Amino acid sequence: MKERYFTTFELILLSLLSALVVVAKIALRFPITLSGHSGLFWMAIVIVGAGVVPKRGATSVMGVTSGLIAAFLGLGDYGALNTFLSYTLVGVGTDLALLLLRDPANLVAAPLAGAIGHLAKLLFKWLFGVLTGTPVGFVALGLARAVVSYILFGALGGLLGALTLRALARAGFFSYLAEKR
Amino acid sequence: MSDKQRILFGFIVLLILAGGLLGVELLRRRAAQPVLADIEEELPPGSIPVSWNGTTSAYFTPDDLSELALVSFVDDEEGKTQEGWLLRDVVLLVMGETALDDSCTLTVGSSSRDKAVELSWVEVRDEANMVMFDLSGRGTLKLVSLLERMDIRDEWVQDVDSIDVVCP
Repeated sequence: MKERYFTTFELILLSLLSALVVVAKIALRFPITLSGHSGLFWMAIVIVGAGVVPKRGATSVMGVTSGLIAAFLGLGDYGALNTFLSYTLVGVGTDLALLLLRDPANLVAAPLAGAIGHLAKLLFKWLFGVLTGTPVGFVALGLARAVVSYILFGALGGLLGALTLRALARAGFFSYLAEKR
Repeated sequence: MSDKQRILFGFIVLLILAGGLLGVELLRRRAAQPVLADIEEELPPGSIPVSWNGTTSAYFTPDDLSELALVSFVDDEEGKTQEGWLLRDVVLLVMGETALDDSCTLTVGSSSRDKAVELSWVEVRDEANMVMFDLSGRGTLKLVSLLERMDIRDEWVQDVDSIDVVCP
């Protein structure tokens, strides 16, 4: 029998983390009006996912799964397809960044991957605004400010994710996972 | 490839992405300027035009509102705090008080949402009605209010891009 790329256990882990992305997006609110501030927890969870399931495509699976959940829950202001693609591109962008940067627990690589992954979402939003003529907030408030904000919060989220992975490693979580596998 | 080289490449990719995005946006805005000049509209990107009896006479950007007093209320539907600037203060900022009287009506619209709401100046002027703009997480303006006909989310006007003032 052909071996599957992701095991069922890994897919369950990725699905749980994807659901956590959506729950965090709904439940966690910062009293600031900077665009992209949700990247702080969003990218942290994505980077943790990349560390917990260290295979190419893991964060893309998270992006697609969280995108489907968010779309079905009616999140976002511009329809299900826009929501789905926004979430998906965060995962795909992080995956592509980690192809180059590799180690999501590295305290420099993880913030970079977080920043690139989060910026992929802004790129999609900008492209969506350009193609549809929809007024997107970061154009009104200045695209440069939005770019800086997305990079900053994406990087902080990546750093938080890397620190979480290190804490999990110290706590023996990865040894536990190895036993389960 | 060493880790240092990978991280360096990562920084370069990030800079290219960010720089490319800003560069393309800059070129796009420059390309759009002659068209704007042709039709005698010099509205900065992201600005919201305010028309007076059908003629665009002023505009503002969300940045311009920072000088106004912040107000807030908690909406009954979701229990969230709506914080921003009174429509009254915004209109007075861009048009001046003498131009408005009780017979005036204001229509706040969003072309992308295909929504608009018509309000009397009397309603807008009364601070108790809290007819105000909340700055959404995406940075666009959302018209919210405690008025009975505007007290649920579906009745608010998100992504506001026009204000039309009509005074007979």
